[in-house]
Amino acid sequence: MFSSVLTMALQGMDVCEVSVEADISEGGLPVFDMVGLLGSEVKESRERIRTSLRNNGYYLPPKRITVNLSPADMKKTGSHFDLPVAVSLMIAMGLIPPECVENTVIAGELSLSGKMARVNGILPMVLKAREKGYKRFILPAENAAEGGAVEGVEVIGVKSLDEAFRFLNGDESIEASRIDLKKLLTGRKEATFDFSSIRGQIAAKRALEVAAAGMHNILMVGPPGGGKSMMAKCLPSILPPLTVEECLEITGIHSVAGILRSEGVVTERPFISPHHTVSKQALSGGGKIPKPGDVSLSHRGVLFLDELPEFDRNTLEILRQPLEDRKIHISRASGKYTYPADFLLAAAMNPCKCGYYPTKKCQCSKEDVKKYLSRISAPLLDRIDILCHVDEVGFDELNGSGQNGETSEKIRERVCDAFEIQKERFKHRNIKFNSEMEIKDIREYCPLGPEEEALLKESFDVLGLTARGYHRILRCARTIADLGHSDRINAVHLSEAIGYRSMDRGVWNV
Amino acid sequence: MCDKDIRYICALEPEFPEKLRNIPDPPEGIYVRGRLPDPSKSVVSIIGSRNNSEYGRGMAVYFAKALSEHGVQIVSGMARGIDGLSQNAAVKAGGASFGVLGCGIDEVYPKENRQLYESILEKGGLISEYPPGTPPKSFFFPQRNRIISALSDILLVIEAKQQSGTAITVRFALEQGRDVFAVPGRVTDPLSCGCNRLIADGAGIATCPEDILEALGLIKTENRKYKKINLQKFSNLSEAQLKIIKHLDYDPISVNELASKTGYGLSDLMPELLKLELYGCVEKAGQGFYILKMNI
Repeated sequence: MFSSVLTMALQGMDVCEVSVEADISEGGLPVFDMVGLLGSEVKESRERIRTSLRNNGYYLPPKRITVNLSPADMKKTGSHFDLPVAVSLMIAMGLIPPECVENTVIAGELSLSGKMARVNGILPMVLKAREKGYKRFILPAENAAEGGAVEGVEVIGVKSLDEAFRFLNGDESIEASRIDLKKLLTGRKEATFDFSSIRGQIAAKRALEVAAAGMHNILMVGPPGGGKSMMAKCLPSILPPLTVEECLEITGIHSVAGILRSEGVVTERPFISPHHTVSKQALSGGGKIPKPGDVSLSHRGVLFLDELPEFDRNTLEILRQPLEDRKIHISRASGKYTYPADFLLAAAMNPCKCGYYPTKKCQCSKEDVKKYLSRISAPLLDRIDILCHVDEVGFDELNGSGQNGETSEKIRERVCDAFEIQKERFKHRNIKFNSEMEIKDIREYCPLGPEEEALLKESFDVLGLTARGYHRILRCARTIADLGHSDRINAVHLSEAIGYRSMDRGVWNV
Repeated sequence: MCDKDIRYICALEPEFPEKLRNIPDPPEGIYVRGRLPDPSKSVVSIIGSRNNSEYGRGMAVYFAKALSEHGVQIVSGMARGIDGLSQNAAVKAGGASFGVLGCGIDEVYPKENRQLYESILEKGGLISEYPPGTPPKSFFFPQRNRIISALSDILLVIEAKQQSGTAITVRFALEQGRDVFAVPGRVTDPLSCGCNRLIADGAGIATCPEDILEALGLIKTENRKYKKINLQKFSNLSEAQLKIIKHLDYDPISVNELASKTGYGLSDLMPELLKLELYGCVEKAGQGFYILKMNI
């Protein structure tokens, strides 16, 4: 008897529909064959399926059993083919009527005992199922919360093969899993790291606020122990809450990468902080069929690179394309993959080897300092809009007699306002933030008055700015003006922006 | 050698500098590119630490520029720090400068001084006692210091630690009977420690270029006006700007510290700092630090 069941296959972030066909026929030697360009984890599923069926009391007949995963020319990887193949066999064996799986997509991994195990990439699969108009998606109970985030598909989480069997036969009803994303995202959460715990450092805090408000990339420079990493960790707490769309995007990526935790969906902006020994593949995404790398995992969040000069130079250069295009293209023999990579790059570094330049404590010669700073290439620096200094922590701050700063919540309110202004400004453009403005946008949205024009011209001449630096300053000044609810960029905004941008002046003023 | 216009001048030749001949340990001969110092004009050697402070940089430029403008020829070792800075300032002021190298005359060491190396040849010259192609070796440098001191009428020390290569040059200068001047600094500053010690031991005190010019006999003592040294132009500054300036020094101070000392918020402070920077009163040192700019 012949049967067919629907499932999905992952190709990077893309999902393709796959039909699992099973046939049990008389004649010939008894065999169980699976075909259809299977990856090794899919080939191994034959043994899992045979055993888990038997352990649940369903014996495969000693006949010629053939399973085909179609389309046959697409490589199938992942462990989620176990359940659809098992169900397909049960239909072929006559245990489940074929009409029970109509309009239904099935995915899930089986253990030998017949229990279901969680699988990766459920969210994109359910989204695809909705796009194709399927009504029902049967998946492991552990993935139910993730799948339930998609409206319009009945998501059924099953705990075991037996439960799936009884559900499909109509012997047991299971309530569809539903998650109200809006409610989940607006619910107040206590941030782990809050700006109120950081004393002093007013200049750096302000710089981070500007960075967050316009999604500008930021580099913090300062002596060891100044709290650079701590402040970077606070950054997600001042970024606006996720929208439903963003949440689905991020959850999809994390799901494919297999790092989704049990709560099902990602509700906070990611903060990814790879160690400086990170490999190129780990950063960009790698593998035969590439998994999303750190640049994609930090999509819509913060990618924090601590001790920037310690990173391998070639690895850092990978960031150049995603920083421009906001996605990363990875080419492999098996095909080309594109992952989203729209993140805020925050980086931290010491100003020199000993960490104290330009104060008297510094033990380095000018040459040492130059050498240390030259580890970061100019093209990468050029993609960083804000360069800020983090001070050494003084006794007052340690002692607790210094003033406590604003809470993240307050800063976030201002950032959200700036986001709204930008949303309104760019509603007819396909960009979202000031940092994404191109030259023609800058001309349109950043007009300067005569006084500001003169200030910028003088700075340009005296401080030796470059054309690229000029545009970066204007983008940044636009954000600062937005934070101040000002339509026009005035001299104060401009001065602050020029202060953040000193890459042009002999690179580091050394 | 001919390709690069390198000449070898033996100690017996008349062209060999007289000053170099009459020292305890004269070189047998010297390799020269460009020209030799004009014996009819004064020569001052300006030396100091390779790892200078901002103060040292300002002083090196201040003295070298003023002396060059009075036709004084500046000799130094083309090293990093004070040496290179003073020679650069001399060349920029249109004066003649001479570099005494611790390696072959066709080697550029340190590499970042390539531009100085080229520009010094236009009006001055390069001198070395080592044959072309000799790589720089650490023990050549103390040796070449005796030539630096020998060529000069006055040795001027800008900034030096107590124990340093500069101390070696000073010792040579005293053996050779040259006058030594030092620029005083703060007692707490290790980079000024050597200079202050020299002054205590009887070296001349160089508080302005006129001190040196007077010792060289280029300006007469009775004509000399003791003008107040004013390295900053503080005129036309607003009250807020003056308040900021008051907290600035030649030691870098961070924006955070400035804000807490002046009591200004960032939105008040940043525009004023930018204005001061554009006026040329302050400059950035590293990211987020400001210092007073010497108006030389």
